[in-house]
Amino acid sequence: MQQVAKLKPQVETGRANAVEVTGVSHIYHGREGAVPALTDIDMTVPAGRFTVIVGPSGCGKTSLLMMLAGLRTPTAGTILCDGRPIPSPDPQRVGVVFQEASLYPWLTALDNVEFPLALKGSPRGERRDRAQAMLKLVGLDSFGGRYPHELSGGMKQRVSIARGLVQDPPVLLMDEPFAALDEQTRMTMGHELLRIWDETNKTVVFITHSLTEAVYLADEVLVMSARPGRIIDRVAVDLPRPRTYQMMATDKFGQLRERIWQQIRAKE
Amino acid sequence: MSRTATLLTRLAMLIVFLGAWEVLPRAGIVNPMLLPPLSQVVATLGDIVARSDFREAMAVTAAEVVVAFVIAVPLGAALGVLLAENAYLGAIFRPMLFYVFSIPKSIFLPMFILAFGIGFGQKVAYATFSTVFIVIMSTSAAVESVKAEYILVAQSYGATRAQILRRIYVPSMMPILLEAVRISMIFNFTGVMIAEMYASRTGVGHMIANWGENFMLPQLFAGVIVLALAAMAFNELVRSLEVRCSRWRS
Repeated sequence: MQQVAKLKPQVETGRANAVEVTGVSHIYHGREGAVPALTDIDMTVPAGRFTVIVGPSGCGKTSLLMMLAGLRTPTAGTILCDGRPIPSPDPQRVGVVFQEASLYPWLTALDNVEFPLALKGSPRGERRDRAQAMLKLVGLDSFGGRYPHELSGGMKQRVSIARGLVQDPPVLLMDEPFAALDEQTRMTMGHELLRIWDETNKTVVFITHSLTEAVYLADEVLVMSARPGRIIDRVAVDLPRPRTYQMMATDKFGQLRERIWQQIRAKE
Repeated sequence: MSRTATLLTRLAMLIVFLGAWEVLPRAGIVNPMLLPPLSQVVATLGDIVARSDFREAMAVTAAEVVVAFVIAVPLGAALGVLLAENAYLGAIFRPMLFYVFSIPKSIFLPMFILAFGIGFGQKVAYATFSTVFIVIMSTSAAVESVKAEYILVAQSYGATRAQILRRIYVPSMMPILLEAVRISMIFNFTGVMIAEMYASRTGVGHMIANWGENFMLPQLFAGVIVLALAAMAFNELVRSLEVRCSRWRS
């Protein structure tokens, strides 16, 4: 079957870069004193791209994500999302999906997806419609009335993604969202995520430990070193889209993954 | 064992128990002065509930229980939240509270009598004292049970502090808080009873102590049954609330 490489639509002028990180460093003050967590991070993500960050545990990638989300302020450097700084969380600009789905167990799936809108005080009818649309996008439109304890791990994460998208932010941050899932579910979810990304045209910044997942999903993979984290390589993944599982067996895929692995190992 | 079988077994045991209560004293196997037959107790129960002095006593006891509860629970809850949220105060006071909690409160009753006399105020004060510690500890535990991830998610969606309290702390803590209410009422009720039985001129506890001293066993048993039923009714009420609020806990 012929692969048709899909071109991403041209970026609008004035919104060329969804995320711009310039010279970001962060020193974390813990019990043992000052610990440098990130050093001199420069990162530019054009609108509509799928960027993946990989790195060893503790390299600061979660801290970086928290800063992109406005939950933390770096000790040095600037961060711009959609052209503006992000000193505090702004869910209409940046949606976040954490590793733990962290759905509120006392709310149904639909109520969970509505939650950000309820915080904003949106009217009931609008909230319901919007949330239902998001559940439909992630393939769970008939599960709105279920409680989290009635959902599987993969379904919970899908609800979490729906929640992150409910306010239609142009940027979506994801911190190892599939880490708690088994391998098969992970692969299915990755595929699902690419479909959702394709339909919504968001800019995605995705953190993972898995090199396979990184190469499979990304337009570009940023490789981070161990603490203090710095970006040691930027790997462009020019595999055609839509991605297929068969691509994982190609030489190209293997070479890309090997290149990332070598970089991480070299810095250990 | 199937549900029906379990239910039938329980029913059978209850019948055996009640049957023994009736038969053993009547047959003289157990001294009927010490254990009046069930039918006599039930008849006496009907009598005393109709008496105005008993009803007044019930009103007094009920008032003491309610007032003490209404003071102890908000006070204890506020302190519990404070100790859980403020790391400094928590580190200082919580170990101390733990030790104080282990002391049986009844030993302090003579002090309360000296300080407050034997009136309504003393019983309320003593019962509040008996109850407040468990409320503090349960509330602290409830606050700590709110997962940090839930709060982080809310913050990432721009929730204000007030919204986090209302939308995350309250529903998250509700099952534990209801359980705490149920258990604190047990402590509260016990506190009121001890105070009434030991040194009081009013209340159901006083009447029960009086009946005991005067060897009026049917009345004593009847009084105990009334209190037991009241305690169980409250327990069941709170438990049904708990079940409603805990449906999401798997």
